[in-house]
Amino acid sequence: MTSKLVPVVSVVDLRVGVADRLLVDGLSFDLHRGRVLALVGPSGSGKTTGAAAILGEFPARSVVGGTVTVDGKAVSAREPVPPGPVAYVPQHPAGALAPALRIGPVLREIARRHLPAAELGRRERRVLVRAAVASALRQVGLPDDGSLHRRFPHQLSGGQQQRIVIAHALLARARVVVADEPTTGLDAVLRREVADRIRVLADDGMAVLLLSHDLDVVRRVADDVLVLDRGRQVEYGTAEAVLGRPSAPLTRALVAADCGRAARPAEAVTVRAADAATPRAAADAVAAQATEGPYGGLPDSSSRSVDGLVVSELSAWYGGRRRADALSDVSLRLTRGTSLAVVGRSGSGKTTLARCLVGLHRDQRGSVCLDGQPLTASAADRSRGELARVQYVFQDARASLDPRRSVLDQVARPAVRLRDADPRAAEDRAVRILAAMGVDEAIARRRPRALSGGELRRAALARALAADPDVLVCDEITAGLDPLARDAVLDLLDTQLRVRGLALLVITHERAVAARLADRIAVMDSGRIVDEGPAAELLDRPTHPLTAALLSADLAAAPAP
Amino acid sequence: MTGAPEHPRRRRAFVLCAVVLLGLPLICALLGPWLADPADPRSGAYAPPSSDALLGTDFVGRDVVDQVLLGGRTVVLVGGGAAVAAYIVGVPWGMCAAAARRRWVDEVLMRPLDILLSVPSLLTLLLIAGLSRPGPLVLGGVVSLIMLPEVARISRAAALAAASGPAMEAMLLTGESWWRRNFRYLGGTVLPTLATDFGMRIVGALYLVASAAFLGVGVAPDAADWAVMVDRNRPGLFLQPWAVLVPALLVTAMSVGLNLLFDQALHRRRETT
Repeated sequence: MTSKLVPVVSVVDLRVGVADRLLVDGLSFDLHRGRVLALVGPSGSGKTTGAAAILGEFPARSVVGGTVTVDGKAVSAREPVPPGPVAYVPQHPAGALAPALRIGPVLREIARRHLPAAELGRRERRVLVRAAVASALRQVGLPDDGSLHRRFPHQLSGGQQQRIVIAHALLARARVVVADEPTTGLDAVLRREVADRIRVLADDGMAVLLLSHDLDVVRRVADDVLVLDRGRQVEYGTAEAVLGRPSAPLTRALVAADCGRAARPAEAVTVRAADAATPRAAADAVAAQATEGPYGGLPDSSSRSVDGLVVSELSAWYGGRRRADALSDVSLRLTRGTSLAVVGRSGSGKTTLARCLVGLHRDQRGSVCLDGQPLTASAADRSRGELARVQYVFQDARASLDPRRSVLDQVARPAVRLRDADPRAAEDRAVRILAAMGVDEAIARRRPRALSGGELRRAALARALAADPDVLVCDEITAGLDPLARDAVLDLLDTQLRVRGLALLVITHERAVAARLADRIAVMDSGRIVDEGPAAELLDRPTHPLTAALLSADLAAAPAP
Repeated sequence: MTGAPEHPRRRRAFVLCAVVLLGLPLICALLGPWLADPADPRSGAYAPPSSDALLGTDFVGRDVVDQVLLGGRTVVLVGGGAAVAAYIVGVPWGMCAAAARRRWVDEVLMRPLDILLSVPSLLTLLLIAGLSRPGPLVLGGVVSLIMLPEVARISRAAALAAASGPAMEAMLLTGESWWRRNFRYLGGTVLPTLATDFGMRIVGALYLVASAAFLGVGVAPDAADWAVMVDRNRPGLFLQPWAVLVPALLVTAMSVGLNLLFDQALHRRRETT
């Protein structure tokens, strides 16, 4: 049915190469009005390069082959698309909004530029601009009464920022919207909202190119799906055909990894043709290695008491005089070999809790004890042994790595500093941990700039594991990973948990992560724990409305609280 | 700064250009005194170029060529020395303030400098020069003291975001040494900003030296010194432009050449993996 229409965007045999590597190798697709095409594939498979090509954006010093046509006009790096017809909604919408400008003036400015060219009086133009802005805001589901106009971007929630970016696109009379990982890092309530917004946009006649790891979202909104693997197009067809009856091994693996989300997929199918060992086997190998006690002089873990981490009546705040409470009287207990998932909406205090535990938030009251020994509020006052025992994986992996040192060097370093390991042995072990998570040594020897977001997340986790911790605090570590990479990371954590007796605290938005890893789940809301209990109970029979909304199994269920 | 060219051949041309820009004034300054012939008889003030004086004469009738050759040494030594001294003290000072985890430490370090910043620089110059015997060393010291607050401020600003960022916290949690955290990581972060600032700071130091000379502090008011030449020959700019233009261009070339070389070095540092 689509072939009868003229596509808005047509890409034929696109090849983009940088140095000796082809980032995209033979990509062909059409975008039609009113349809959503999803580009799916592991990180580093060329999704972003392919999508940027339709804007006429190519990596520096790249060689480009094939043709890209937008609205019948050829697009190249020299002649990118004029402003307007193609809109790009980045993963972090805040980056597309000028932080120092209020929302309203920017919307009006864009509307003014894209008014029909007819000769009009100033007053008439102003009326038209106002009407256009109001209608664009209505279309993206924001109030059109001007209540948002005086706000700055940072005064909006992530979901609202994303909608403002889409409103920009509507005002610029965009015919194509490229949405890059629009649901990454959002909680379940927001994810649902964003997915619905994309569908509505397409139903109103927009052509949408969706880049996503999130197969739930793809299934919900996409008409067509294109699967990429290392720059090659491995499958292209309607969503039902590709996701329902996948033929390529990669697609099958992605779908299988995704389907196994709800239960613990002990027998999850991992059929990545090119990989010699499955991630799980590799993870076990690393875990076994770790339990051998790679660094001499470590106290045997069985001789320690099984007390674990005990947090009692922990409160935390920000600011001096005008103090804002971030945590109030949080108490929890985390025994070794078990894991706790902390879920909650953005701004509910999850990250502050994590930072208090690892000693990065000084303004706290209450106690944090590890095996009965109190931990100081500041990491600077903790001994090297204490630092090693409690490790933290930052939410923003890229920012947590030094841009001027190689990733491998940084992953190996904690073992040298905290466990007195020999630098060579530490590096070997770092290579093994990274390999278990699917990051090759050759890639890890580069600087962070040369690695993808997914690879850096895994590197940051590897760095924390290299310190051989007893307690690991992970902040959103699987956001933005494709299902295969996510499974590899979760497998690795799971083995560390069971074999080494790690106590794990994961902050997450994803039900899959909570279901796969957590023994217990704590739900946070405005700095308090509002619901806590065994994972199975909270996942299957949630009683608290917030728990139900955040952990509901699929996108269709449970309205916003 | 950005704008370093991508292509290797263009990059070579770029480096060559920077070396020429920096080399010419430096050679002039270091070898000039041996080539100059200060014993030349004086002629009329602001005389146009002739076979006797290739670039004409200055405000008291001296040959501009000789003055240019003689006037580089004090500029490079006093200006360069003062800027280097201000950096040696100011950069660690500002970075300590940025890295301070307690707010009052930051305040204690920066507030006294703010007071210094609020005093007009010429006033400080006159005051200190009046209290001690003027000489190149005192002058250099005063100039670097005047520049200190600005250097400390810019180092603090360049280091502030990185000093409290996740990478710094991650290094703290992985037990990284103080030296590595503050010197290697934080130092590496502020380097591009400071390298750009340094070239301009030298020019600022030169003209502070020149204004001091005008007031009779430090350098003699008719000294052979590029900055003094620019300052004193200005009234005759339309009669005899070379006496102003040549020293001014040499000072500019030195600062631009220095900046270009820093840019290039930093660019190469970013690319090596």
